[in-house]
Order: sequence, then structure tokens, then C-alpha cells
Amino acid sequence: MVGSESMLDLDGPGAPPRANGELVFAQPWERRVFGVTMALTRQVFSYDDFRQHLMMRVREFPERPYWESWLAALEDALSAACVSDLNVDARLAELLARPHGHDH
Amino acid sequence: MSDHPEIATRVEALESVLTERGLIDPSTVDAIIEHYEKDVGPLNGARVVARAWTEDAYRERLLANGTKAIAELGYGGTEGADIRVLENSAEVHNVVVCTLCSCYPWPVLGLPPSWYKSDAYRSRMVAEPRAVLAEMGLELPEQVRIRIWDSSAEARYLVLPQRPAGTDGWSSEQLIPLITRDAMIGVAHAVEPG
Repeated sequence: MVGSESMLDLDGPGAPPRANGELVFAQPWERRVFGVTMALTRQVFSYDDFRQHLMMRVREFPERPYWESWLAALEDALSAACVSDLNVDARLAELLARPHGHDH
Repeated sequence: MSDHPEIATRVEALESVLTERGLIDPSTVDAIIEHYEKDVGPLNGARVVARAWTEDAYRERLLANGTKAIAELGYGGTEGADIRVLENSAEVHNVVVCTLCSCYPWPVLGLPPSWYKSDAYRSRMVAEPRAVLAEMGLELPEQVRIRIWDSSAEARYLVLPQRPAGTDGWSSEQLIPLITRDAMIGVAHAVEPG
């Protein structure tokens, strides 16, 4: 699926010009959280609403890595859109309990 | 793979519960990422600039109403509702920054590079633009006025770089490779031919 392999495709034919370019996403989770957010802007909240949360999170802690602020803003935007009781923490605990190296 | 195993897993957990709730579909997420990585990028902006360099009437329309002239080439959408185009000249050099977060004209430049989102660029470009530009490799003569445009309002900005000397009579297709993303943010000149 989406992962390091498809990031390498960006250097292949048909890749956008990146004359000065570094890849926009340094880690697979960064591209994933971007894609999830943009998918949610189709029905759950607007991008402008999300951007307000992003500005607040960036302002609150300017040195924090950008995509970490983005993730915090995404969770804010979900709460503001009344998408609560997602139980992310419970799912996170389940996933972290997987045997080491499960998907590598 | 990741130097933040916990945050990567948190994103995975979030995607998994959102999928179960029917709020997103993983294949849609894949398609969106691919769209932004492959179809939306600075090549779109380069096409806009090349047309402005080769067609005066288009250049005038672009400077009068960026969003509308850019839509003529089929580009628009998220973060593109109000794109204003800033023309560089021998006297004035324009640079774009977003001091509050990372506002950026996605339809013509794609997603912003990591340095554009850095705290250092966002704060220092406003305070000492000439020094920051020099560090990025762009030395501007003292007499050139630097104008900094902060995208934190509703507007997004695209810089129309100066057309390099020695390109008279060149076609759009020849000009496009000279027009880099950095030139359209204002932290570089268009590439000199040859």
C-alpha cells in the first residue's frame, strides 16, 4: 500500500519537478495523516475549520515538528465536529501490544 | 522505519477507528495522497508563469485576478480560493511567507516544502529578509526593495519571477524547466539558461 515504496516512485518518470525539492513527507505516517485529514474535509469538517486548529497548535508550540502539530489539530477538529468517543487510545494500546516487527 | 514509533501508531489507530465509523475509506485516502503528490505540484505554477512570460494579455489578467487567470489553465481547489500574483522587477523583489502556520497556494505549487513550515523561516523572513535570502543563496543588490507577503489572511500568493535574459523567443515548453518552486515563493531567481 502506501509506504516507502511509493515514496520512491516520486523520483521516477512522471514525478513532479523538484528542482530544489526535498520530499514533502519525511515519514510514512506524515503522508497518512495528511491523506486522512483531507478525506475528512469531504464530509466531516471543512479545510478552513481544520486550518484554524492547525494555526492554534502551531502557535501554541512553534518548535514542535509540523506534522505533530497537524495531528494534534486533526484531533481538535474531530472533537469540534462532535466526532467523539472514537476510543483512539484503546485502539492505540491494542496496536502497540502487537508483537514487535509485525509489519516489517 | 519511523523515529516516532508511537506517533506513527497513533495515526494508524486513528485511521482504523475512523474507517470503522465509516467516516473515511482507506482507498480514498490513498487516492488523495497520490493526487497531491503526483498531480498537484509546482509544474502547474510553472505553466502559469511561462504563459505570463509569453503572452502579455494573460500576464495582465493574471496580475488583475490571479485565481481567475489560474483557473483558465484548469487549476483551483483547496487553498486556492484567492490567489494573488506578485510581479518581481529590477526594483522590487517579492517573497511569500506564512507567519501563522503554513498557508500556501496548493493548486499551483503543491504542498509546501518542510523549510517553509519551519519556525525559523516563518519568524526570521519577516525580521531580516535580506539575510535569510542570502543564506538561501539569493544575494539581492542593496537597491532592490524586498516586500514580504504574509499569507495568514485569506489570500495565497504566487510570485511571478523575472524572465531570465537570453530567453527571447523561447516557447513555454522551453521556459518551464527554468521556473522552480523556490522562484515562485520568491527565495530564488528563475534559472539562468545555459
